[in-house]
Amino acid sequence: MGEWTRERLVELIHRVLRDDLLSVGQDFTPASNLIEAGLDSLAVTQLMLSIEETTGVWVDESLLTPENLESSETLAACVHEHVHDL
Amino acid sequence: MASEVTAARLPLTGADGFLRAFDADTRRRNGASHLAQVVLRVGPGFDAEAFRTVLAEVTRANPILRAPIRRTLGMGTPSYRLDAARNPDWPAFVVHPPGPAAPGAAPDALPPVPALFHERLNEVRRARRGELLRVDAVPRGGERPGTDLAFTWLHMLLDGSGSERFLRFLEERRAGRAPPVPPADRPGAPPEHALPPSARERGAMATSWRRHMEELGALSVRSLAGPVRGVRQALVYDLLSFSVEESARIKARAAARAGFLTPTPFYIAVAVRAHDAVLRTRGTVPESYVVPLPVDLRPKGGEGAVFRTRVSMIWLQVPAARTGDLAALLADLKEKRRQAIRAHQVENGVAAMGYALLAPAHLYAFLTRRALHGELCSFLFAWTGAFCQGLESFFGAPVLDGFHAPAVPASPGSGVFFSERGGRLHMTHVRQQGVLSEAERRLFRGSLMKDLTGAG
Repeated sequence: MGEWTRERLVELIHRVLRDDLLSVGQDFTPASNLIEAGLDSLAVTQLMLSIEETTGVWVDESLLTPENLESSETLAACVHEHVHDL
Repeated sequence: MASEVTAARLPLTGADGFLRAFDADTRRRNGASHLAQVVLRVGPGFDAEAFRTVLAEVTRANPILRAPIRRTLGMGTPSYRLDAARNPDWPAFVVHPPGPAAPGAAPDALPPVPALFHERLNEVRRARRGELLRVDAVPRGGERPGTDLAFTWLHMLLDGSGSERFLRFLEERRAGRAPPVPPADRPGAPPEHALPPSARERGAMATSWRRHMEELGALSVRSLAGPVRGVRQALVYDLLSFSVEESARIKARAAARAGFLTPTPFYIAVAVRAHDAVLRTRGTVPESYVVPLPVDLRPKGGEGAVFRTRVSMIWLQVPAARTGDLAALLADLKEKRRQAIRAHQVENGVAAMGYALLAPAHLYAFLTRRALHGELCSFLFAWTGAFCQGLESFFGAPVLDGFHAPAVPASPGSGVFFSERGGRLHMTHVRQQGVLSEAERRLFRGSLMKDLTGAG
C-alpha cells in the first residue's frame, strides 16, 4: 500500500474520471472541480469502486465531503489518508 | 435489435420500451395511461401567449412532442413516427379559470395544487395518435398570486431529468438563447450508453439481469396495494415540504450517514421504514422490501438529451428483519447499491430493457411481475436532487417552487419522490386512493418525519 503516493492517486483518479466516467474536454485537469464537471452519485460510487479495485482500499461515500470532492487532487489526498491508515 | 433512425422514425430506447410495457398493462388493467407530471409554481407575470407560441414553435422543430408511437405494420420495434406528427390538438395547452382560494393556507405558504393536477395523472392517452404532452395553467390568487403549471406527459417521452431539461429549454428558447432542437436530441447524436455490438454479449448481460431479478423472488415482497389486479387507477399525491432550516438539518443528516453526493440510500431507508410501519399494523409484513432506484444514463458533464427515457434501474432488496434499526437498514442498502454497481447491473439493465422492444408489451409486463408473484416492487422511489437548478424565471414570472409527481401503477400503489428547490426539501407521495386509511397515512407520515429529522 505504501507504493500509492498521493501523486499516483491523483493520476489514477483523474484518468478514471476523464476516460471512463465523465464527458469532459481538454480543459479538465486534476485541479478541476468535480461537481461542476458532472460527478454525480453513480459516478462517484463507480470511481470509489475503481479505486478499491486498483488499490485494495475502500473509502466510504459518507466520508466524501464537498471539500474533498473539489478536485482530483483533494480527493486523492482523502484517499491517501485512508491508504496510509492501513 | 436496433432500429434504423431516419427522419421519419425514431426508435424507442429500451427504457422507453420498459415504460411502454407498463403503459399497456396499466391501460388494460387499470383504465389509465402511465403518465408523469412536473408542477411548476410561478409568481405574477406568466405570459401564457408567449408560452403558447414557443410551445408550438418547439413542437414544429421537435415533432416527437406529438409523434404517434407505432410499430410498422404491427411488427418490429416501436418508433416515434415523426412523419405522422400532425395532430393539431397536441401538445395541449389550456389556461383554466382561477381556482377557488384554498382555505387555511398559511400566509407565507403556497396553497395546495389544484385538484385538476391529480386528475391529469389518471387520464388515458392515445399514444398511437401522438397524445403525449398536456400543459395546464391555473392562475392562483390569495396571498401569493401567480400561476400553477402542470406538465403531464406519457412517461416514455421524458424521464425526470429530461422533464427539467425541457422546462429550461423552453425558457432558453423564449429568451432566444437555445437552438430550436436541443443539440443532444439531433439526429445522429451519439447514444448515452453504447452496448456491446455483439448480440451474444448483450444476451449475456440481459441474462445476468434476468437472473438477478429472479433471485429477488426468493424472499416475499408485499406492497401497500398488494399484487396487481384490475382496479380503476385513481392516483392522488401529497407534498410534504420542509423549511429551509429543517431541510438543511435533514440534508446534513443524510450526508453524514450516506454521503454528500450519495444521500439516496438514506432516503430509501426512511421510505422503507414508513411502509414497514403500515404493513406491521396490518400484520402483512413481507420477508423483504424491493425498491428500484432509477439511474440517469446521460453523459456526466456533457450536454444531455431532453426527449425519450435515458434511465436504467438498480433493484435493491433488503430483508424486513433489518427495518427495526435505521442505521443497520441504511448500511444494508448502501452495500446492496454498491454490489449492484460493481456487478454492472446498470449496464445489464440497459441490455435487458432493449428486449422489451421486441416482446408484446403486456407479455413483458407479465414477465417482470412474475418473479415477485404479481408484485412489481414494494414502492417506487426517486431522489432527483435540486429541481430545475438555474431556472429562476419562466416566461416572465419568477419561479417560486416545483416538484415531480410521477404516476405509480395501482400496484404497488405507492411512490416516494424526494427533491429540493430553493433550499427546501420536498417529498411527493403519490399513491392509489384507498391504499392508506387516514390513520395509516398519519402513521406513514409520522415515521417519515421521525427518521428524516431524527426527532423522537
